[in-house]
Amino acid sequence: MGEPAAQRAMRSGDANVRTLLTGRLRERDAIGSSIAVRDAVKTYGSFHAVDRISIDIMPGEFITLLGPSGSGKTTLLNLVAGFQSLDSGEILVDGKPVHNVPTHKRGFGMVFQSYALFPNMTVSQNVAFPLRMAGVDRATAERRVAETLEIMRLTEHATKSPSQMSGGQQQRVAIARAIVRRPKVVLMDEPLSALDRRLREQIQIEIRDLHQTIGSTILFVTHDQGEALTMSDRIAVLNAGRIVQIGRPLDIYRHPTDRFVASFVGESNLVEAEILQKRGSTLTMKNRAGYVFSAESRDTIDVGRATVLVRPERIAVSNEPNANSTPVSVTSAIFLGEILRIEAQMEGGEPLLIRCTDMAGRPLPAIGDRLHVSWGAADCWVLA
Amino acid sequence: MTSASIGVQAGRPADLDLVRRLRDPALLLLPALAFLAFIYLLPLIDLIRISVSGPSWSSYFQRVFAIPLYWDSLVRTMQISVTVAGLCLLFGYPTALLIHRSRGIVQVLIATAIVLPYFIAILIRTYAWMVLLGRNGPVNKLLVSIGILSEPVQLLFNRGTVLLGMTAVLLPLMVLTIYSSVARLDQSLTRAALASGAGPIAAFWRVLLPLTLPGMGAGFLLVFVAAIGFFITPTLLGGPGDQMFAMHITQQADSVTSEGFLQALGVVLLTITLAVVAVAGRFLGFEFIWGGRKLTEAAPKATDRHAADGGRRSFGASLADLFGWPLLRLFGRLPASCGTWTVRLMGGLVIAILILPIIVVMIISFSSASYLTFPPPGFSLRWYEQFFSDSNWMRAFWTSLVVAAMSAAIAVVLGASAALGIVRSNIRGKSAIMLLLVSPIIVPPVVLGLSLYSLFLRFDLVGSTVGLAAAHAIGGLPIVVVILSASLQGVDTRLEQAAAVHGASSLTVFRLVTLPAIMPGLAAATFFAFLHSFDELVLTLFLSSAQLKTLPLMLWGDINYRLNPVLAVVSTLEVLLVIAGLVLARPVLATSRRAT
Repeated sequence: MGEPAAQRAMRSGDANVRTLLTGRLRERDAIGSSIAVRDAVKTYGSFHAVDRISIDIMPGEFITLLGPSGSGKTTLLNLVAGFQSLDSGEILVDGKPVHNVPTHKRGFGMVFQSYALFPNMTVSQNVAFPLRMAGVDRATAERRVAETLEIMRLTEHATKSPSQMSGGQQQRVAIARAIVRRPKVVLMDEPLSALDRRLREQIQIEIRDLHQTIGSTILFVTHDQGEALTMSDRIAVLNAGRIVQIGRPLDIYRHPTDRFVASFVGESNLVEAEILQKRGSTLTMKNRAGYVFSAESRDTIDVGRATVLVRPERIAVSNEPNANSTPVSVTSAIFLGEILRIEAQMEGGEPLLIRCTDMAGRPLPAIGDRLHVSWGAADCWVLA
Repeated sequence: MTSASIGVQAGRPADLDLVRRLRDPALLLLPALAFLAFIYLLPLIDLIRISVSGPSWSSYFQRVFAIPLYWDSLVRTMQISVTVAGLCLLFGYPTALLIHRSRGIVQVLIATAIVLPYFIAILIRTYAWMVLLGRNGPVNKLLVSIGILSEPVQLLFNRGTVLLGMTAVLLPLMVLTIYSSVARLDQSLTRAALASGAGPIAAFWRVLLPLTLPGMGAGFLLVFVAAIGFFITPTLLGGPGDQMFAMHITQQADSVTSEGFLQALGVVLLTITLAVVAVAGRFLGFEFIWGGRKLTEAAPKATDRHAADGGRRSFGASLADLFGWPLLRLFGRLPASCGTWTVRLMGGLVIAILILPIIVVMIISFSSASYLTFPPPGFSLRWYEQFFSDSNWMRAFWTSLVVAAMSAAIAVVLGASAALGIVRSNIRGKSAIMLLLVSPIIVPPVVLGLSLYSLFLRFDLVGSTVGLAAAHAIGGLPIVVVILSASLQGVDTRLEQAAAVHGASSLTVFRLVTLPAIMPGLAAATFFAFLHSFDELVLTLFLSSAQLKTLPLMLWGDINYRLNPVLAVVSTLEVLLVIAGLVLARPVLATSRRAT
C-alpha cells in the first residue's frame, strides 16, 4: 500500500505526533474487516437502485465506489450502513451476515457529506458519542477522545460548538467521530464534496494517511474521479445500479472495459477505427482521417471496427509532420498553467483533445493552426 | 440438510417481517386516530343520524329552510362572513407587507402586536370591544369631547359592531396566513422586477400579487369558514337583527322538543363549512388549512398540481391585464412613496384596532370606579382584591388550570405520536390522514359541542373534568400535530443516521438527537394546546355543569349579567399569561434558530 506511514507523515507535517500515535494505535487494532456483498438488490418501484451487485472487499482495503448520481453508489453504502434494507441478497462482514443487524449494532464509523455533527454537543462530546454508546468507561473515553482530537489536530477546538467552526474543521470533527472507536469499517459518503478545492486536496491526503494509521477498511463514495484515483486501493465504477468495472486506479484509468468507464474516469478521446491487421496482441488500425496506427488489445478482438481510447496526455504533438503523424487543426487552446489543453479536429472531422506540457519558448497555438499528432501502440487501448 | 433446519431457516424471515411490521412508525398514528374516531367522528356521525331520523329523512331539513327565521339567518350569516373575510383581506394584506418590509425591533413589535391578540381568547377580545364602545367607554367620551356628539350614544349591538368585532378578532389569522406566503417568496424576485424596469406598483401588481394569490385565497377562506360558525362575538356585539346561524343552535340546545331539528341545524352548518373547505381544497390543496407544504407523496400528483398552478396563474394574469393594468397606469403617476404610505397607514390602523382594546381593558382593570368608565377616575387594586378573594372565581380559575393541563397532556401525547407516525412512516394516503387529524380546526365549535353533548350524556361524562379535558384536546390535537410535524420534517435525518451508525439504538437516537431538535416545537405545541383549552368556551357551554365551571364560562355568565371591572382583571391576567408564555418561548425559539 505505497510508501510507509511514517514517511507519509513526514510529508504532511506533524511528524512527531503522528509517528508516536501510529505506534500506539497499531498495537490496539490490527486491521479492518472484510466485507462481502452478494447479489444485493434494492428497488424503488420500478427503479433498480442496486441491481444484483456483488463485491468482495479485503480487510484493510480502501475501496471507492465511483459513479454518476443515480448510479446506486450511495444506495449501496446505505445498505452496508443499514439505513436501508436489502430486497434480496446478503452482506457479510468478516464472513458473518449483517444485513439483518440493526445499524447501531454493526459497529461501523461513518463520515457524512453534510458532516451531520450534533449541534447540541461540543466538538469533544461529538467525538465521544460513539464511545458513550459503546459504554466505554469515562477515563478511557476521555483518553481516546483526546488522542483522536490530537491526530485530527483539533485539540484546541475541543470545547467549541460545531457551528463555530469552518467547513474543513467540521469535517475533521466528523472524521474524528467516525474513527474514535477504532472501527473495523469506516464508511464515507462524499465527505469532501462540500469543501473547496485546496481544502479537499489537503483532507484527501489526511484521510489516506489516516487509513495507513488505523488500518480500518474504508468504503468511500464519490462522484469525483480524481478523488477516487488519488485515494483508493481499488475503485468500483458503478453505472445504473451495477458495477461496471472494479480494479486498481491504474488499471481503471489505463484499461477501462467499456466506453462508460473510459469517458467517466479521466478525459478521453474515443477514436473509431478499422482493424487492418492483427499480430499477437498488437493491432494495426486506421481511422476515418486515414491515420494508421498500432494499438494494444485483448485477444478477443480481431477484425472489423473498434473504438480506441487515446488519453489526451498520451498524444505527441509537433509543429512539423513526421513519418508517423497525422495533421489536425486547432479549434481551441487553453493555457492551464503547467499544461496546455488543446481541442483540435482531425481530417475526418473527428474532435481530438490534447493535453501537453507547456514547453519553453513555444507560443500558444492559435485557432486554425495546423499541428501534427501521433500516438504509439502503448498509448492507446482498444475497447470491446 | 434436514427438514428441521429448513423449517428454522424459513421461519426467520417471517419473524423479521413481524418485527419490522411492529416497528413501522405508522402504528404511532393509531392512538390519535382511535381517540378522534371515538370522541370526534362517532358523535358527528351520530349527529347526522339523528338529523335524518324524523318521520321522513328530510323533514327536519325542510323546517330549517322553510322557516324564515332560520333561512334569513343563514343568508345573513353568509353575508356577514363574506364581508368580514373581505375586510380582513383588505386590511390584512398591507399589514402582512408591513411586517415583511420592516426590520429589526420594529418588525418584532409589529409582529407581536399581531400575534399577541391571536392567542388571547375571543371572548376577552370581544369583551374589550364592549368596553371600548360602551356608553362610558373611551370612544363615546372622545366623540363627545370633540363635539361630534352632544351626549353618549349606544354604539353597540348593531351590524356595524358585529362586523368590526369579528374583523378585529379574525384579522390576525388573515395577516399570519398572508405573511407566511409573502415571507416564502424569494426577495430577489421583486428586485429582479425592479431591475427589469418595473415601477414599484408594477412590480407589486405583476410579481408580488400573483405570487401571493394562493396565500390570499387561503386567508380569505380560513376567515370565511371561521366566521360562518361564529357565535361568541355576534351574540355579545350584535342586536336582535344580527342573529347568526350558530346562535340558533345554542339557543335551541336546552329544549328537548327540538331533538332532531337541532341536529339538522348543526348538519346544515357543518355541510356548508365542509363544502367550502372541499372546494377550496380542490383548488389550493388542503394544506391551506394548516398552512403547511405538501407532505412527501406520490410524485405524479405534484406535477399535476404544478400544471393546475400554471393554468390559474395565467388566468389571473389575463384578468390583471384586462382591468388592473389601465388603472395602475393612472396610479403610476402618483409619487412612488404613495404605496409605502398606504401600507403604513392601513397597517397602523390594523395594529391600533388589535392593540387598543386590550390596552384599554388592562387600564380599566385598575379602575377605582364600580362601573365601566374610561378614563378611570382613579387607580385602585380593588377589583384584583375582589377577584382573588372571591371563591367562585378562584375555583373556576383552578378548574381551568387543571382542565387545560390535562387537555394539553392528552393532546401532546397523542399529537406527538401521530406527528411521528405521519412524518416517519411510508404509508399511503398521508394527506388524507393529515386532513382528518387537522379537520377539528374547521368544524364549527357549536356543531362539535352539540354532537359531543349527546355522547357525553350517553356515557355520563357531562360535568366531568376528564371528559371536558378530552373534548378540549380535540381542538388541541391539530395544533400539536401541525407544529410537531413541521418540526420533525426539519430534523436532519443524516444526524439520526450518524447517531445510529455510531452505536445509538432507536430509542437513544430519539432521546439524543430527535428530541432536542424538536424541543422548541414541543414546548410551543404544549403551550398552545394548554392555551386552547384554557380559552375554550363553546364546547364548555355544552359540556360543563354547575359544579364544573371554567374561567371562560364564569366570564361568559358575567358578561351577560353585569359588566364590571372584575372581567377586566381576568382579561388582564389572561393577557399576562399569553405574554409570559411568548417570553418564555423566546429563548427556546432563539436556540433553535441558532442551531439551524
